[in-house]
Amino acid sequence: MALFEARGLHKRFGAQVVLEEINLAFEAGQLSGIMGPNGAGKTTCFNVLTGRYKPDRGSVRFDGADITGMAPHRIVARGISRSFQIMNLFDEYSALDNVVIALPQVRARGFSVTHALDADTDARDRAEAVLDRVGLKGRERVNVRSLSYGERRALEIGVALATEPRLLFVDEPTAGLGTGATARLAELIKELKRHTTIVMIEHDMRFLFSLADRISVIHWGQVIAEGTPAELRENPWVRRSNLGGLA
Amino acid sequence: MESDTKQTTAWLTAPILLSYAVFGTLPFWIEAVGLYHYLGAEILIWVIFALGYNLLLGYTGLPSFGHGAFLGIGAYAFGLAQFEVWPNLWFCLAAAVVVTGAFGAATALFLSHRRGIYFALMTIAFGQIYFFIASKWTDVTHGEDGLLNIARLPVPLGPVELPTAGNIEFYYLCFAVYAALVVVLWRLTNSPYGRVLRAIKQNETRVAFVGYPVTFYKWSVFTLSCAVAGLAGGLFAMAQEGAYINVMSLQWSGIIVLMVLIGGGFVSFWGPVLGVVLYFVARDVLGAYTETWLLWFGLMFMALVMFKPQGLAGIWQELVRRTAARRRRPARATEAEG
Amino acid sequence: MLLHLLPHILNGLALGLLFALLALGFMLIIGVMEVINLAHGSLFALGAYVALAVMAPDGGLPFAFLEPYYALPAGARYAIALVVGPLVVGVVGMGLEICLRRTYGTDPLYGLLLTFGAALVLEEVIRSIWGSSEYFLPIPREISGGFIAGDLIYSTYRIYAAVFAAAMIGVLWVFLNKTPYGAVIKAGAHDSEMVRALGYNLTRLRLLVFGFGAALAGVAGIIMAPIWGIRPVVGVDAVIPAFVIIVLGGVGSFWGAVSAGIMVGLVVALTAAFFTDWSLLSMYLLLLLVVTFRARGLAGKSSVLEA
Repeated sequence: MALFEARGLHKRFGAQVVLEEINLAFEAGQLSGIMGPNGAGKTTCFNVLTGRYKPDRGSVRFDGADITGMAPHRIVARGISRSFQIMNLFDEYSALDNVVIALPQVRARGFSVTHALDADTDARDRAEAVLDRVGLKGRERVNVRSLSYGERRALEIGVALATEPRLLFVDEPTAGLGTGATARLAELIKELKRHTTIVMIEHDMRFLFSLADRISVIHWGQVIAEGTPAELRENPWVRRSNLGGLA
Repeated sequence: MESDTKQTTAWLTAPILLSYAVFGTLPFWIEAVGLYHYLGAEILIWVIFALGYNLLLGYTGLPSFGHGAFLGIGAYAFGLAQFEVWPNLWFCLAAAVVVTGAFGAATALFLSHRRGIYFALMTIAFGQIYFFIASKWTDVTHGEDGLLNIARLPVPLGPVELPTAGNIEFYYLCFAVYAALVVVLWRLTNSPYGRVLRAIKQNETRVAFVGYPVTFYKWSVFTLSCAVAGLAGGLFAMAQEGAYINVMSLQWSGIIVLMVLIGGGFVSFWGPVLGVVLYFVARDVLGAYTETWLLWFGLMFMALVMFKPQGLAGIWQELVRRTAARRRRPARATEAEG
Repeated sequence: MLLHLLPHILNGLALGLLFALLALGFMLIIGVMEVINLAHGSLFALGAYVALAVMAPDGGLPFAFLEPYYALPAGARYAIALVVGPLVVGVVGMGLEICLRRTYGTDPLYGLLLTFGAALVLEEVIRSIWGSSEYFLPIPREISGGFIAGDLIYSTYRIYAAVFAAAMIGVLWVFLNKTPYGAVIKAGAHDSEMVRALGYNLTRLRLLVFGFGAALAGVAGIIMAPIWGIRPVVGVDAVIPAFVIIVLGGVGSFWGAVSAGIMVGLVVALTAAFFTDWSLLSMYLLLLLVVTFRARGLAGKSSVLEA
């Protein structure tokens, strides 16, 4: 049984059906990709899988347990985390503070009214380690607004990583990045792959095909193709739709 | 607010002690500046209300535009506890806190899933509903006449009873409550709980997605701010020696918003204190010259929202930062040359 | 028994159509600006006060010296009020939009606080000029009073109000759907970036739409004045039904707003028939119910003005 399974997902907004009979399975230890044109329903799919929206029909299972329609914070507590395509950072904070608040040990004390914050050196060390992993060493005290776009993208993933997830959803991490930053990001994801199961939405086909073990193609709210990158290279729809030169 | 990693562990900070010094000695110098003792009590009562309110607005970013209703509920609860149950100061204040907190908890059930405009409009609706009930339920609240003859209860301390009838004695009761509460609220806002609140203000979605039950946090901070409002309401009932519906109106609910933002509640724990003091100074000093002083206060609010939403405390912080930066620069220049 | 309710139903219809007019102005502003104008109710109230000043020499302003003007027949003065009132309110609305520009692109909380502050300031301005006491708008005799039809007493004014509001809604619909200006506004509501790209001055569009929406509120205020009375606090009571209407009717829908408006008006009027004190409160309770059970996000709106 796959680590994460979605069966028969159906979602409509008003009169528009956005997701129809979506079936997905993500194996532990793999990097699964989701691709498809804009407006295909990829991010809505992510939102349903991570608890932001409730599906009208269908079920979502993680590690055998049914998590359909569960509130986001409960899903996170079970070991799932996500980063966002449109960055969701704490703009008034430094990079370090952004990460600290996501740490499970900090979260456990979320209702404490007496614990002293700056005495928490262990949390600070862990946060610094996370920032180091995503390539932000030396930038810990910098305010988010002063970070470069690439650094903020890295931080976006860092915050998601800080929750120590078993399964990490990453939504279009290369959006807006230049070639250098994209290459660094690919290295980061390769390193993350070794410890965490990853599910990634991506537009950059070369990026996705070089990292993914399996890819699902979503179009018109349905999964229209699925397989390894090699299999998909032969898929007529993928070839026809010309989604970024794969030659 | 200042970065989390610079938070102090101290229980009594310099600003807290300074406030003790200023407010503690107020009865001795207030008349020398042309004001009067009762004003001191009024200021402290509204400071208490404002500090509790800022937990919602300045720290968590939740715009409650109907909070005056809870100040009123606290006042009525105090009066009714005094008349119907037990005219004991601690009991009546506790009743004010608990009853208002309960109203807050019930109201917050409708609000905790919301933010922004929906939140604001719901708070306006609840405020108006409570205002309406208070003015119509004349059996209990005596409607437009108000609940009269609420006594300033003496402070029972074991064998001794300290009277509070006089303005100066009553002032020191308010000061004692303030002194305790400000320490509690300071610790709260500098605790992990406070950090989550501040994160919610910046990005509620992300806070949920890193694992916090955001709805519960919002419910709890609303209830807490109402409990503090209840405490202020109880003192207010004693100050006025009555409980009236006017403070529950939208206009008064709006005034607390003005006070807190103008003072700098968005960026500083002390913002609300500054805002309250400024309001009462404007009322009594400006008000002597013009009847439209509240209009100017409101225009000041709009101007600050447009240009300096960090308010007076924020402007002060900016000045401090700039002068500190300026002092550092010449030193660096000489280092480079040297 | 039901027949006795007929006058109340008529009242509800009149009230509802006026609410719909108010809500449409509210919606227009949201369409091109994504701002919830909490001051909309105060603009509504201001309309009534300006009409008061135009119509009555003792309407709070020291205009008694304009004796020859006030000697004009009430009908003429009323017509002037219907023009001057919305004009003044429209200008004030445009002033508010200019203030709001500083908050565009920032945390929406600031825009909310600014319009809230504007509502308080407007109320204070009204209080400073006209005081807190209640005024009554002197309306021309032709449209006041009542008549009896089939054993029931009807208010002439309510019929007039309903007809006027319906006419205004019709004119608004024609303007939005049959004129080039209306097309630009609808386009702007749908996609402001595109409108800018097509060469329209988005800044000026927003300014004019805000003024127009404010003017609609002002007109509604003038027509509502004889029904609700003229008090400074009326402003707040007016934003709530506007908001309830657009949540019920859907942000995008013109006729949704009209039908929701009529529904809200009927609820308020029928509540007034049975529990007079509770009629205003019914609006607040309606808001609670509607937001609790039916609120959809106002962001991600479709075109505001699809009929």
